[in-house]
Amino acid sequence: MLKSLKKYLKVWYLMTTASFSSFLISRFAAVVLLSGKLLRFLFFLFFLYLLVGKTKVLGGYTLNQVVFFFLTFNLVDILVQLFLRGIYRFRSLVVSGDLDLILVRPINTLFRSLVCWTDLLDFITIVPLIIYLIIFLANGQVAFSPIGILLYLLLILNAFVLALAIHIIVAGVGVITYEVDNAIWLYRDISSMGRIPIDVYMEPVRSLLTFVLPVSVLMTFPAKALMGLLSWQWMIFSFLISGIFLWVSLRFWKYALTRYSSASS
Amino acid sequence: MKKYIQVLKATLQEYFIYRLNFVMWRVRSVIQLLLLYFLWLVIFQKNQVVFGYDKSQILTYVLGVWALRALVLSTRTAEVGGEISRGDLSLYLLRPISYVKYWFSRDLADKIFNIGFFIVEAVILVFLLKPPLVFQTNLLLIFCTLFSIFIGIFLLFNISFLLGLSTFWAPEGEWGGPRFLFNIILDFFSGGLFPLDILPLLLFRFLQILPFPYLLFFPLNIYLGRLNTLQIFQGYLIMTFWLIVSTWLIKIVWQKGLRVYSAVGR
Repeated sequence: MLKSLKKYLKVWYLMTTASFSSFLISRFAAVVLLSGKLLRFLFFLFFLYLLVGKTKVLGGYTLNQVVFFFLTFNLVDILVQLFLRGIYRFRSLVVSGDLDLILVRPINTLFRSLVCWTDLLDFITIVPLIIYLIIFLANGQVAFSPIGILLYLLLILNAFVLALAIHIIVAGVGVITYEVDNAIWLYRDISSMGRIPIDVYMEPVRSLLTFVLPVSVLMTFPAKALMGLLSWQWMIFSFLISGIFLWVSLRFWKYALTRYSSASS
Repeated sequence: MKKYIQVLKATLQEYFIYRLNFVMWRVRSVIQLLLLYFLWLVIFQKNQVVFGYDKSQILTYVLGVWALRALVLSTRTAEVGGEISRGDLSLYLLRPISYVKYWFSRDLADKIFNIGFFIVEAVILVFLLKPPLVFQTNLLLIFCTLFSIFIGIFLLFNISFLLGLSTFWAPEGEWGGPRFLFNIILDFFSGGLFPLDILPLLLFRFLQILPFPYLLFFPLNIYLGRLNTLQIFQGYLIMTFWLIVSTWLIKIVWQKGLRVYSAVGR
């Protein structure tokens, strides 16, 4: 088990080093992309401060709580982008038939396809975001308890598992239909609705974002747990739904592989 | 003219081949709308007027932004940079067509397709959401709105095309970054996220000098009847200024760019 973990860590390290090197070749593009990501974050944050600063509350949440929801959204989003960036290259693997080269290797195909392309820009952005989050909490902008922090971290991890399951499903769809990009961008757009707490949306959108494509579990519940606003029933629901999604995604992935035609290889 | 109509037709046929891509693109567009729509809706649950806008005005603005994204901001010129960096531009230089007009024809096809889908989506969403909307009855204001949209289409094309031409001087494969940055700036400064007049006055005054607010914010504010004659006239002047400058810049940049173009990749 330990030996296997070491092997996977080494593969990830080697692939990540290669990925970072490729980013450093186009330094200008990297700086511009980084500026774009930063501006996108700042513009929306500015908008929230402007809007909720004026109205004082948004769907029952104070300005600081709304900002905290937005910061948590960014944390989950960047974490997922950071570690599951390989999905954006997955289609070319399937279409070109290069997936064969991964399938025959003594390494988990999903790990090699999804995890082994760490985005340097996300790595750069997540560090200041975490620092900002810590300062934000340390300054007492939102009330929380030590157990809240533990639940927050657990639910962030749970959100990552859910996102992983969704990425596996998208990869499976890619194997069967050769279509990945639209599906993953659709996921990103739907998950971006979690920039504000899901409670803000009216029915049936709220239920859709909780039960069908659980953006609540991904983005809203971790922040609510930290602020002590999430009941234990919803916490159990969060873990349960991530577990179900992961189980279904792995079953679907196995099925998708049986349909892989190894085209163009 | 005939050949550009053929380009337009061919581009439309392309969309029919890649139907799923386009449908997904429109679905994504609806999702982006829903985020802003519900955000503003909840704001007006406890407020009658926010930043000088009432509920019907702001929801009309949000839906208007969505419509103008399809009509004004939709463009295919994002592909220009890729063509230059791959050396595919050479194929066009050998043909008896204007590269600018070729891309404008493709842009028009893109807009036709987007608007077609938008109309269907708008009918469904208005039926489902039943938002209180402002229906402008002043024909002069409607005409002024349409005229500003008309200039806006050309203005956006010029700015976006110019950005694509900048690839002449950028190393291979580096054109994606500036485009990403441009889209984010464009969305914010054109009023895609919120009406720009809710910004601090000094910042708003500064933005009014730039071309971006005249693509979304300006036409929608004319439609909502929030601008007086002088402000509309002033807006037209600034738009025309940017249109002339950008057209002139395209000529200069195109000529200079062709001198440094080495058809790398071909």
